[in-house]
Amino acid sequence: MRLIYLLISLLMAIPAWAGSDLTIYSGAGLMKPMETLRINFEKEHDIKIKVHYGGSGEIFGMLGTGQCCDVFIPGAEKYTNDAKKNGWVKPGTDQKVVKHIPVIVVPKGNPGNIKSLSDLARKDVKIALGDPRACAIGKLSKKLLQKNNLYEGVKKRIVVSGPTVNQLLIYVAMNRVQGAIIWEDVVAWAEGKGKVEVIRIPENENIIKTVPCSVTTCSKNPELARQFTQYIASDQAIEIWEKWGFKRCAK
Amino acid sequence: MRKIGWFEAVLIVLPIFLTGALLAAIISLFLVPTLAEIWESLLSEEMLFSLKLTMWTSSLSTALVFMVAVPTGYSLSRINFWGKSMVKAIIDLPIAFPELVLGLCLLLLFGNPVLQNFFGRLGFDFVFTKQGIVLAQFFTALPYAVRIIKSTFDYIPPRLEFVSRSLGYSMFETFLKVSLPLAKSGLLAATIIAFARSIGTFGTVLILAGGSYMQTEILPITLYLNISYGNMPMAITSGIILVIVSFIAILIFEKSEASI
Repeated sequence: MRLIYLLISLLMAIPAWAGSDLTIYSGAGLMKPMETLRINFEKEHDIKIKVHYGGSGEIFGMLGTGQCCDVFIPGAEKYTNDAKKNGWVKPGTDQKVVKHIPVIVVPKGNPGNIKSLSDLARKDVKIALGDPRACAIGKLSKKLLQKNNLYEGVKKRIVVSGPTVNQLLIYVAMNRVQGAIIWEDVVAWAEGKGKVEVIRIPENENIIKTVPCSVTTCSKNPELARQFTQYIASDQAIEIWEKWGFKRCAK
Repeated sequence: MRKIGWFEAVLIVLPIFLTGALLAAIISLFLVPTLAEIWESLLSEEMLFSLKLTMWTSSLSTALVFMVAVPTGYSLSRINFWGKSMVKAIIDLPIAFPELVLGLCLLLLFGNPVLQNFFGRLGFDFVFTKQGIVLAQFFTALPYAVRIIKSTFDYIPPRLEFVSRSLGYSMFETFLKVSLPLAKSGLLAATIIAFARSIGTFGTVLILAGGSYMQTEILPITLYLNISYGNMPMAITSGIILVIVSFIAILIFEKSEASI
């Protein structure tokens, strides 16, 4: 019997959603800096923040089905713009936070000798790209390859199209493909550990996205939400973003 | 009326409550999409591709599992050899392993350049390919089949085999004409479970075969991909097919009276 009580109380100890001052929907790729920012803001204001991390499409859908949050931080501006059109976020509250930059990632030592986007179309390489229907980086890789008239050639070199960006990174880090296009910030950690190398795409060939944040119209605490969005775009916060491989937006 | 003690009451209420919760969860899968949506998803090019590939790969891997699991199960049940308990433990390992880990292990092994080259010469390539799906399903389903077949042979008295040997059959003939027919229901159960397990293999296939759209896409991958595409009717339809297959498998399994 004591065991049953113990189990029930343990179950109830798992924190539930209720009882926070702010709820935030954030793109899953922003998790690392966002956790530091959350803890800092909580300490500073003595409040509790709940963050739900999900794919941009998923959190956009949650907002659409009426599950409310205070601050909406998807991985790409397109989602914020669509949310604005649907009247889910307050006009004028959206802010550019940091840049999201696609790069070519190759295994350590660059076995495929890939130096540019056009090398991805070479006959002797095997590459991995994100599934354009599943993740933002997949959609973007397709777009930027099309912009450079390389998509048809590169398409033939794809041996695997991963539904998530993390899966792409695994295949590169384990040397199973010779290259992939991934967000620079996602590879920052693996690059630091010497597992992979990053090849930057020249700005005129690239399509650079920004991470936006905005306050929702259903927010119960818009003032605090506003302060949070200002905080994560502040100079102090940018240092934390930069530590995780994100780049400052030009003011 | 007979008085029911609290312990007995708990014993009755708990399983009913559990069954109810599970049933409600399964039924809700069927309630969300409309029939038209299910029908449309079922006939989509992607679903037909996935269904066909799932059936092909699962049938193939089940046949392979059967061919390997029958002698292995028989050997583990009848023959004593050095290191047997070790062999048994290692064969069982994938049951407790998360599928993702198994997939990662297989990717590291079969994606190894030396081994990949070797298999490449024989015409096999397991990384990011349909052959990889079969390999992933094979290793995921094998331990279940071996367990069932071993315990089936455990229940067949060795005395029958001794009699057969004393009447002139060789060991192989005895195995073929006495042991196997006696193990019929267990073999059926092993095949069914191996097939159901193959159809449901997700993590191993995702990592080893890549889970690419319309390339290495089997039913559980269709479900997963369509969740990330935001296409719920497709995801749910593949879920429903998987539930139906498992349900039929379990029904046949229960009937066969084998045990894992």
